[in-house]
Amino acid sequence: MKLTVQRIRILSLLLVIYYLALAWIFNRAGFEHSERLFYSEKIMLLFENSENTLLTLGTTFPTTSYLINILFAPFGYLFAPIAGSIVLMVTLFFFILKDINDSELPFRTLFFSVVVLFFLHPQFVYAAISGRNIAAIVLFTYLLFRSLFFYYNNQTTYYLSLASVFLGALIFSEIKFLWLILGFLPFVVLVSLEGIKTAKGEPVALQYYQALNNRSLRRKLVNRTVSLYFILYLLPLAAIFLFRTLNQSHAGDPTYFLSSQYSNWRVTGVSTIANIMERGSGNNLNKQTQIIFPFFTMFLAPIFFSALFLFKGKLYKLLTLLTPLIFISIALIDIQFYLTAEYYIIIPIIAFVGLNFSSTVKVNRFMSSVILLAGTLLTLVGGFYYFSQTSDFEEQHLVKMVTEKKLWPETKVDTEDKILADYITSIKSEDRPVLIDDAAAYGIIAHLPNLNHLVMPLQKNFITVIENPALSVEYILIAKINNLRHNFTAMNAYNMVQMQTRLNLKSNRVFETENWIVYSVR
Amino acid sequence: MPVCVLNNMISVGLFTTAKLAEIETIADEFGYAPIKAALNFGYLTRKSYVAFLERSGFPLVDVRNEVVDETFVEQCDLLHLNAFLYLPLRRDGRGNLLVAVADPMDEQLQGILENKFNTKVQLVAASDLDITWMVHKLRGEFYVKEAVFSLMRKDPESSGLTTFTDYQLLFIFIAIGLSFFFLTINFVNSFIFINLAFSFIFLFAIVFKLSIALKGSKFELSEVVTKAEVKAVENNSLPVYTILLPVYKEDKLIRKLIWNLRSLDYPRGKLDVKLLIEEDDDKTLNAVKDLDFPANFETIVVPFHMPKTKPKACNYGLFFCKGVYLTIYDAEDVPDSDQLKKVVCLFRKLPKDYVVLQGALNYFNKNENLLTRMFTLEYSYWFDYMLPGLQSLDVPIPLGGTSNHFKLAKLLELGGWDPFNVTEDADLGVRVFEKKYKVGVVNSTTLEEANNEPFNWIRQRSRWIKGYMQTLLVHMRNPPRLIKKIGWRGFFGFNFFVGFTPITFLLYPLLLGFYIVYLVFDLQTVRILFPDWVLYISIFNFIAGNTLMIYVNMLAVFKRRFYELILFALMNPFYWLMHSIAAYKGLWQLIYKPFYWEKTNHGLTKVSHSASAATAAGKVNEPR
Repeated sequence: MKLTVQRIRILSLLLVIYYLALAWIFNRAGFEHSERLFYSEKIMLLFENSENTLLTLGTTFPTTSYLINILFAPFGYLFAPIAGSIVLMVTLFFFILKDINDSELPFRTLFFSVVVLFFLHPQFVYAAISGRNIAAIVLFTYLLFRSLFFYYNNQTTYYLSLASVFLGALIFSEIKFLWLILGFLPFVVLVSLEGIKTAKGEPVALQYYQALNNRSLRRKLVNRTVSLYFILYLLPLAAIFLFRTLNQSHAGDPTYFLSSQYSNWRVTGVSTIANIMERGSGNNLNKQTQIIFPFFTMFLAPIFFSALFLFKGKLYKLLTLLTPLIFISIALIDIQFYLTAEYYIIIPIIAFVGLNFSSTVKVNRFMSSVILLAGTLLTLVGGFYYFSQTSDFEEQHLVKMVTEKKLWPETKVDTEDKILADYITSIKSEDRPVLIDDAAAYGIIAHLPNLNHLVMPLQKNFITVIENPALSVEYILIAKINNLRHNFTAMNAYNMVQMQTRLNLKSNRVFETENWIVYSVR
Repeated sequence: MPVCVLNNMISVGLFTTAKLAEIETIADEFGYAPIKAALNFGYLTRKSYVAFLERSGFPLVDVRNEVVDETFVEQCDLLHLNAFLYLPLRRDGRGNLLVAVADPMDEQLQGILENKFNTKVQLVAASDLDITWMVHKLRGEFYVKEAVFSLMRKDPESSGLTTFTDYQLLFIFIAIGLSFFFLTINFVNSFIFINLAFSFIFLFAIVFKLSIALKGSKFELSEVVTKAEVKAVENNSLPVYTILLPVYKEDKLIRKLIWNLRSLDYPRGKLDVKLLIEEDDDKTLNAVKDLDFPANFETIVVPFHMPKTKPKACNYGLFFCKGVYLTIYDAEDVPDSDQLKKVVCLFRKLPKDYVVLQGALNYFNKNENLLTRMFTLEYSYWFDYMLPGLQSLDVPIPLGGTSNHFKLAKLLELGGWDPFNVTEDADLGVRVFEKKYKVGVVNSTTLEEANNEPFNWIRQRSRWIKGYMQTLLVHMRNPPRLIKKIGWRGFFGFNFFVGFTPITFLLYPLLLGFYIVYLVFDLQTVRILFPDWVLYISIFNFIAGNTLMIYVNMLAVFKRRFYELILFALMNPFYWLMHSIAAYKGLWQLIYKPFYWEKTNHGLTKVSHSASAATAAGKVNEPR
């Protein structure tokens, strides 16, 4: 039994509707991920702001997610990131379904696995409805590895070039995936050896021995390996070089796109190890500090073990499938950074690559189906286990919302950002502008209907205004001490005290929430 | 067999009866005199033939210095003179007509001539090459004029005789005028606009080429004709195949040429090889005369007529072709031995509207120096990736210089080549498409000599770029009509490919100059001309464009496994500067001497192509 393209399209459409419904439910219940709000705010800046649009467009990172989200801006700035992530996840679904037609495994079981995971696995659903860049990461990861396997089977540079393009897109979805380049290094040599065709049928070690001890073969092996590296890595590395050059010329800093809170959500949005230790919860953090962490990610996605068990192919194909584990080990080097769902979900995605392109029936069809089913169901369990143990604050908030059955409130739940945005909308006017720093307050700005009567860092007069706000603005939005982004914004409680002291600024609290205060300064 | 010199040569062991039978078959098929068949199909060396004639009491006369009464010659058609190798000279003292012939023992020819002139004929021996030279010089005028003006007469809109039409000149001057006008009234904004326009054209052209190359890379391993199919071809079923070899002052390459032709796996008697020599090229003619081994080609002397170009010579040669298929090779070309059979197979498989097949070109001296390496990368990318990509897109394909294989009848229908276009092959590719025919790509390689000397390279390249400009100007005389003929896809494909190629070479140094000025001279004035957003776009286009350019050249190493060349692709930005120099030279010549043919010097390489041919071609299409 094979799936026609038309049927796949229908299924994809169903998945879109399903994700949209879920996104609506969660949004109504008050779930708004900060990364989604970050993209919304940046899209709003692009279209509503007339100053420094180039800086917004050219330096907001991750670029792929941002650019894809821009396409959906006509549907609303707040909705655009969700639409983007849903479309990307469904695109992934489409490609995987298309590829299972070529697999040697029992079709129905494989089809069931795909459908179950995309419809029910918490990480898959989360990737689709959160508006985060997880969807871009998993899509480009799948396309990258898919292209590599197409290259292994077809040996045309077309697929190698595609792999290079997708690797570039993946790096521009999450910069840490740059380390995948290191992960690819070993197997490219094996791929080259395969092309040299020495001692065919002999163990790999013997092939290597023969190739390295023969001057002509050694030269061929080196030349071919270097060529493969160039074709695979040139485009992504050149793209990074280009991006850094553009950042240097326009922001004065080649790593502006990584280090600036105005450009990169990860500067302010991630749960740092320090924050988590302070507030202390979640066992996944403990596992992240251990050397066996890559295996932990595999244990949460046993379908990967199914793929390994059912694997059929050469050593370099196997190494390719194991590359993400090498990558995760390297990513752990940045121990300030808590690894969220995207580092876990790539494992079942890679498993699908293996199942579609490099697997075969083992023992018999029934047992292969059992192995695959078992892997799928355990992966489902693993997904729930992940969220039950997560140390990320926003993921914990989501879990709490689901477990405490708060998905069906009587009325739509307004988040703190929304409440503040509504208030600011009611008070701002041409005579009474508001000073607001989107380094921390991007979530609030994303909920505003427009950027009128705001003074923001993107505007040329911001520095002047901040010197003596009372002369130019009526209100200031200040982040409280307990605000997680307090240290990333100039408009924080500490600086407020400085202004009150140094400038003799007279201020009244006019509005207050858990993390913010609105002051009137005139 | 009627009595001729060949019969007499059997008795002295220069021939066998079996070979005579073969010669007779060829002579009948081609409509030649037996001696012509013997001399031009590799059965007899000229030196041994001359020695035999002299021993037999037939010393050669120097026909080029003989007095010729043209009233007799004018009664003879060139095709007959050429086929039977004779030249009526004058009446002798006894009233007999003296006729210089290649075979003074040819009784049949004597009879024909006596009937024709109604007089007694005295045959005198002369060098067949000298006779050929004379007959073409004396009777070739009509044919050479046809070769030059036929296309212009039948299809004036497709002729490159007029370089710029009035409308084109008007358009160009208006564009230049408007540019100056806007630069005068608002220099900064106009400069910015021009800068951006150049940048986008540059980037777009590169991205387009990358996408075509990627499309072509899908066909890396495809074999349109397999070895098994070639092996299954029966020699008896093969048609006559014409090979045109236009040469000029290539005396040093004649021996190599014969060697290469001998390597072709095709029945000797079905190869109609024409060596096209210009009337004033005595060097090459004498080199042919001095050969120590049998020549396997016929010499055609192209009478002098401007323009003195390769396509004119090829058009002239068309009158003498006997084949069903035709191809062109240069003197130094080394085609795959089975190339002709592959072409025949492929033509038989493809639909009837495929009238041209293009073989891949590459170089046997690829590792000689930096320039040959860059050249090899470029050709590999063009023929192994771009052509298959263009074919899959169904857009006009500019043909390569050699190894284009035509159905002769269709070539004649198309009007042959444009003698006024210095890249007549590119032009013909577009005309093929205009007539709703198709160009295919055959998986066979011809090795050539890569230019290893920079100035020689620039001369050659300037001609190619000039030719592209000519082709663009010719076919864009009436854009709506072109769109009607080839559709929007073909129109854009043609412009992006043929048009943008010279334009990007012309623009490249300007863009580079802007960028360097900005980097080096950090002046306020420069910042006015380069506001932030313009700089952003310029940097993006510049870096992205160069990177993509390098990348497509890196792709080129894979099909032929020239992996050692990959690092040289990084030199592409400098290689492009050489292109730019050639482009400006070409542009200058387009205006002042559009039909001038920059002759490329061959035979400069120190690499022996016979030794390196096997490694240079690489193992194309084998599993990797």
